[in-house]
Amino acid sequence: MNLFNILSDIEKSDAEAYERVEFSRRKLLKTTAFAAVGTSALLTTTLNKAFAADGDVVDVLNFALLLEYLEAEFYARGLDQPGLIPGNDRNVFMKIGEHEKQHVEFLKSALGGQAIAKPAFDFTAGGKYPGALSDYTTFLTLSQAFEDLGVRAYKGQAPRLKGNRDVLLSALKIHSVEARHAADVRLIRGLRVWTSEQETGGAPAAVYEGENLLYQHDAVDLISLVTPKIAQREGNPEMTTEKIVRESFDEPLTKEKVLAIAGPFVVSA
Amino acid sequence: MKQLNEVQPKNSAPSIPAIPSVERRMFMRQLGLLSASTAAFLASCARPTDDLISPGSGHSGARMGASILPDGTIDLGSGDLGISNLAYTLDQLETAFYATALEKAYGISQQDRKVIAELHDHELVHREFFKALLDGNGIPMLDFDFSGISFSDRNSVFDAAQQFEDVGIAAFNGTGPLIEDLELLKIAGKLVSIEARHATLARYMLQPKSYFSLGHELIDPQGRDWALTPEEVVKKAQPYIKQKISVANLPKY
Repeated sequence: MNLFNILSDIEKSDAEAYERVEFSRRKLLKTTAFAAVGTSALLTTTLNKAFAADGDVVDVLNFALLLEYLEAEFYARGLDQPGLIPGNDRNVFMKIGEHEKQHVEFLKSALGGQAIAKPAFDFTAGGKYPGALSDYTTFLTLSQAFEDLGVRAYKGQAPRLKGNRDVLLSALKIHSVEARHAADVRLIRGLRVWTSEQETGGAPAAVYEGENLLYQHDAVDLISLVTPKIAQREGNPEMTTEKIVRESFDEPLTKEKVLAIAGPFVVSA
Repeated sequence: MKQLNEVQPKNSAPSIPAIPSVERRMFMRQLGLLSASTAAFLASCARPTDDLISPGSGHSGARMGASILPDGTIDLGSGDLGISNLAYTLDQLETAFYATALEKAYGISQQDRKVIAELHDHELVHREFFKALLDGNGIPMLDFDFSGISFSDRNSVFDAAQQFEDVGIAAFNGTGPLIEDLELLKIAGKLVSIEARHATLARYMLQPKSYFSLGHELIDPQGRDWALTPEEVVKKAQPYIKQKISVANLPKY
């Protein structure tokens, strides 16, 4: 039932919804995101009491669980493919895979009877990434995409958990682990550790959409504030202040956008 | 059911990154006004700050900015201002540490220098951000003592870097649930994952492609990162800061 809600979210998160979100968040909430909550009316009577006051918590944790299922299965299957992951790198992916499995278990136990079941995944995304589990470069590209996406997804949901300190703390703690993963995968790939729209590393561009903010918190003009003190240009003249500023902040992504990116990898259960 | 479908009340949980600028300005103004009045109040009564904070102030948001106590201790303030000042403290520390490393670490490779400069510049951006955000509520520029760190040894430089960055992660994780203002919670989220990327990079410079690079020893059996309370954070940072730092008025769990 819950799974259906999440998958129906994926279907509804089409490109048009992206446009609407900029103009009319309220309208979008009514027509798309919260429609899923509406269909879970049947479940409200069985909601865990701890979460009952805040339906957002169940929704957020199931959203997180879907992404953790995806990551956990991706690494489990990748590690199972003989010769896919070179010996030197196996350690790291075994540990990352272990963390993702732990996240799945943690979220499932937090959700209890409200946890969604694991859907079936297609890591080729319907043929778009044929080498997902057979070509190491493709595997790395998707790993980076899933980890960076996970970071943005948790970041985007944290405000919805504000009413529940324990759940928020756990979500934040998982969030920073996802960021460690993302950074390590980027280092293995020889990419910059920080995200920007310019350097996607072959991942879907949507994963990095909106990462290039130069102004934080309304109009704090970071560029003028830091330009005279930048150290990085020493022997590196192409390192602009703009680049440094945009790499200094990771941006959140909405649930709708995350699901639109993850959707092609999820096969209906 | 209707309640669940309703748009979240203002100042609570918007699910899109774009925040109306009015709301943002309100936040700035709120911080500014509170600071001016509390500063004036403090100056006029010159008593220890503890007396001015009512019990339970941890639930009240912005509240009081930084102040210098009679014995020279720097009190970070209360509420969201106190939490912001804690982040500002760490960003000052990290920026100063990397600047010192760039100045003193003569023998290191160009590649090592480049990484240290990258880490420096991001922390600089974070520091300047909090400085602007806190305005009159911020702590002064602190003085640091890194004499315990051997800057001639690149491994000791990256080891210290990794430890500072990991404390940054733990500080943001630990204070996140104590934040009142959603806007500050979002900012904290944008910064903590940068700290995590930094920690990973610093660790990778020591042991690439290892459990260590992932910070595995800090992660619990549920796959969750570590977190520290403000008191624990200061205990870790204080040895490197010349002024005494107090977090007595920060919110508590």
